[in-house]
Amino acid sequence: MFKIALQSLLARKLRLVTTALAVILGVAFTAGTLVLTDTMSNIFDNLSASVYQGTDALVRAKAVFNGPNQMGEQRPNIDGSLVPALSHVPGVAAAAGSAFGYARLIGKDGKPIGNPANGAPTLGGNWSTVQALNPFHLVAGHAPQAPDEVVIDKQSARLGHLAVGDTTTVIANGPPLRVRIVGLAGFGTADNLAGASVVLFTTPVAQRLVAEPGKFSTIGFVADRGVSQQQLVSNLKRALPPGTEALTGAAAIKEQQDQFQKALSIFSKFFLIFAIVALVVGAYIILNTFAITVAQRTRENGLLRALGASRRQVLGSVLVEALAVGVIAAVVGLAAGVAVAAGLKALLSVFGLSLPAGSLVLNARTVVASLVIGIGVTLIAAISPARKAAKVPPVAAMQEATVGSSGYGSKQRLIVGLSILALGVAALFTGLFGHVGSAFLIVGVGVLLVFLGVSVLGRTIALPLSRAIGAPLPRVKGVTGTLARENTMRNPKRTAASASALMIGVGLIAFISIFASSAKASINATIDRSFAGDFVINSGAGSTGGGVDPALAQRLNALPQVAAATGERFGSMLILGQPYMIAAVDPRTAGQIFNVSPVQGSIGALGADGIAVYKDDATKHHLKLGDPVSVVFRDTGPKTLRVALIYGDNQAAPTANPGSKTSYFLGTPGYDANFAAPHFDSQVFVKKAPGVPAAAALAAVKKLSAQYAVGATVQDQAAYKAEQTKPINQILALIYTLLALAIVIALLGIGNTLALSIFERTRELGVMRAVGMTRRQLRGTIRWESVIIALQGTFLGLVVGVFFGWALVRAQKSQGITVFSVPYLTLILLIVLAGLAGVVAAILPSRRAAKLNVLRAIVTE
Amino acid sequence: MADVMTAQKVAARTEDAVKVYGKGQTEVRALDGVTVGFAAGRYTAVMGPSGSGKSTLLHCVAGLDSLTSGRAFIGDVDLSTLNDQKLTILRRDRVGFVFQAFNLVPTISAAKNITLPLLLAGRKGDQAWISQVIEITGIGDRLEHRPSELSGGQQQRVAVARALASRPEIIFADEPTGNLDSRAGTEILTFLRRAVDEMGQTIVMVTHDPMAASYADRIVFLADGRIVDEMLQPTAERVLERMSRFGE
Repeated sequence: MFKIALQSLLARKLRLVTTALAVILGVAFTAGTLVLTDTMSNIFDNLSASVYQGTDALVRAKAVFNGPNQMGEQRPNIDGSLVPALSHVPGVAAAAGSAFGYARLIGKDGKPIGNPANGAPTLGGNWSTVQALNPFHLVAGHAPQAPDEVVIDKQSARLGHLAVGDTTTVIANGPPLRVRIVGLAGFGTADNLAGASVVLFTTPVAQRLVAEPGKFSTIGFVADRGVSQQQLVSNLKRALPPGTEALTGAAAIKEQQDQFQKALSIFSKFFLIFAIVALVVGAYIILNTFAITVAQRTRENGLLRALGASRRQVLGSVLVEALAVGVIAAVVGLAAGVAVAAGLKALLSVFGLSLPAGSLVLNARTVVASLVIGIGVTLIAAISPARKAAKVPPVAAMQEATVGSSGYGSKQRLIVGLSILALGVAALFTGLFGHVGSAFLIVGVGVLLVFLGVSVLGRTIALPLSRAIGAPLPRVKGVTGTLARENTMRNPKRTAASASALMIGVGLIAFISIFASSAKASINATIDRSFAGDFVINSGAGSTGGGVDPALAQRLNALPQVAAATGERFGSMLILGQPYMIAAVDPRTAGQIFNVSPVQGSIGALGADGIAVYKDDATKHHLKLGDPVSVVFRDTGPKTLRVALIYGDNQAAPTANPGSKTSYFLGTPGYDANFAAPHFDSQVFVKKAPGVPAAAALAAVKKLSAQYAVGATVQDQAAYKAEQTKPINQILALIYTLLALAIVIALLGIGNTLALSIFERTRELGVMRAVGMTRRQLRGTIRWESVIIALQGTFLGLVVGVFFGWALVRAQKSQGITVFSVPYLTLILLIVLAGLAGVVAAILPSRRAAKLNVLRAIVTE
Repeated sequence: MADVMTAQKVAARTEDAVKVYGKGQTEVRALDGVTVGFAAGRYTAVMGPSGSGKSTLLHCVAGLDSLTSGRAFIGDVDLSTLNDQKLTILRRDRVGFVFQAFNLVPTISAAKNITLPLLLAGRKGDQAWISQVIEITGIGDRLEHRPSELSGGQQQRVAVARALASRPEIIFADEPTGNLDSRAGTEILTFLRRAVDEMGQTIVMVTHDPMAASYADRIVFLADGRIVDEMLQPTAERVLERMSRFGE
């Protein structure tokens, strides 16, 4: 049986290839994600090691709290006098402080380098005089010596078209600074540190510009020869003042690596979801293809049974075929996966996330996973058709095979389909609206079940659906159209199966489009409602803590064309034990710009110890106006603030994510008193004076901004809205590209099904050609058949996608997605593209059909 | 032979037709220089033992297959001068076909099957003629049925109706009664005969059945790819007798 199965497989090599292709793509994506993740993990591990290569011990302040959103431990700067003090500790060969913080380098064209809001950070720091403790090395020029001299990383020099000897501007503490580039630095073998742009000053200048005068972020130590890192650390520990800690270089490296791994795992989960989607679609294709081939070989299998093969042997032969397909798919998919990893790397850099160079890493885990998944998916998908094959009775050998559908058990199918659908919807709602652990997983299972349920039900409504979709064809395309439509209706189960694969991709695209559209609409609605300003000056630093000189907001307020201007600063802190990223605005002017609907108190009352609280949070924590709120700051420790404002509109409050619901914010006096310098305004909001024409106000604002915030963009409200929705568009584009893979696989499936059904209909096609159907007409019938199938899948996908979109938007209401917006244009485009995709899927099968030798087709047995 | 060809119009003919399959050791000469004409308005049968080349001859002169050498004509048109598109259109507009089985497109009704060549051409056809054809073949009450809902005999009648509906110059039938019982078979042969007698059609039929062949005006006998004999005004007994001599 094994040999027979393999022989029959080889006899139809092309079919083998196209069937395997679907799973190959799914495996390739999985393998690619794993390879990419392992590669990046390797790169970041090496990078982390490079940073602390020569460091044997590290002294720093103890962590005060763990920041929100994976920010990591928050700790203040450490006193610089510790450097000379600790140098005398036995075992210390050398010691040097490291001062790092936000700085923004401006390129030759006046545009700032880097995208810290959405990508790698932009850093300023000191050039360490102790070589071993300096992670950078000069590749050109010399180290900075004068206060206005800097060394920048090679990548930034390239991006900004800067060279040694050039003068440019740096944004750091205080007004924009003119600096002279005296050297370029590399980091290990890379041109920079994982995409982060770095400007290196002399130590005192760095302390003043990016940390605090006389302080350091960390102090590094080199051990005497023969002294181990552990020994050095225990020596240092005896001399440390309270509030500080020491760790070995190795421990520091591990910490850094762990942080990268955490970020990486989120990232790899994102891509693995798409791999799963691709595999599910691939499984559909396998199931469909095997179902068809089993049906086509009913007589063959009947003959085998008549000659004495047992049911188990027939089942086994189909599974052997599936195994062969699976092995090929897994191996080829693995190889393709490596190419996919390279492609994903390139894709990411197109969308703004560029990675350092590094060779791809292929682990044993990836190889094993690819094989298991490829073979597993294929075998599982083939079980049902294999069992059907085993059920073929011996008498089938003598019967004429008919090409048609069996409408058996449609009531049963209805019940099964509805049950699965109900289960899926239940899981979906539980995950979205119930407050359960691993909600993500439950939602995922729910989504899968809903798709499964709809595809089962799809078979029940396949006939009327095909009839409806194909209705205009006979009139428009004559007998070609009639034949196409009738063909989709002759085997509704098979039509539904082909369409189902496409349904998944279309459904997910529709769902994501609706969600993104709703998110964007919600943001826009919020800004419309709550933002009373006219212009926004955007530093591009996001909520990283960086931005522009606060003096800008002050100067703007002094302009006659400006009624009110306020900066917006960001920082993280603990409020009532929970970490938050909060914004701080100027109490004197912010009230004219942010319509937060004060219930009690006012923005103006936000003094040095004031905090603004959303009314529902105030109720939850039993807070009235004037009540104490216990907080912890990184730089000033535990403090007590007082409620200066209870506000009613939590989407209008100053926040890092416009549109989201914000519970607290501060005034700048409170911020300045508790966050160590330097202070930056990430954005400055401006309201023009009444009666002043917008153009005049804009010109005045721009002039001042160019002086105090070189490289920052000045936006009107429309541009500000667009800026807020830009990250959504970027992620959307990335997701579309990834889902396109699922669509491609589904199209392969449709093409495959068409090819197989053409094979089945060879004689019929021969008769049609004999009585006078031209090749063009034949290609036409197949093409329109494909279009009907594609549109059928699209219709089902849209129904499911709209449902998912609605469900998720409802679920995210508490997160700020308050508007349900359906992007009709996108969905119509999707339908048109699906139709075109149907045409494309039909190209190869229809050409092969048209090339059929008429005579051989007619006399085919 | 001579008087048949000169006295009447020739609907289709071949000149020294040769058809070779395979190469070298496995070469098969299905047709080995066949020159034959099929008179218009006549019912001609082509007979011979299996492997005689009779089906091959039919396929080649009908434009379904190409000759290795020699020429085939429908009317005055040399089939070797036509590309696939033109050949297809010629078959559609000027030739009718009845195969032994699987004549019909299963997804459309009997009525649509009958007018299929016309539908493909985008023409309406002669409605009166089509009604007459339907009446003669007696399938008027089954027009909206799908082929799977018809008996074997009914399916063949629909096939005959299709062959007649577009008023072709010539109809080729390849063992049209091969799959039918004797009663249904007789029906079909009667229709074909009436088509020639009452409607002036030209029919060329391949058959191995002496009874079927007796309906023809003329029988051409093939053996080993060559014409070996002819018979005019055949009867079943004479045909049977002639066929039995093929072994010698």
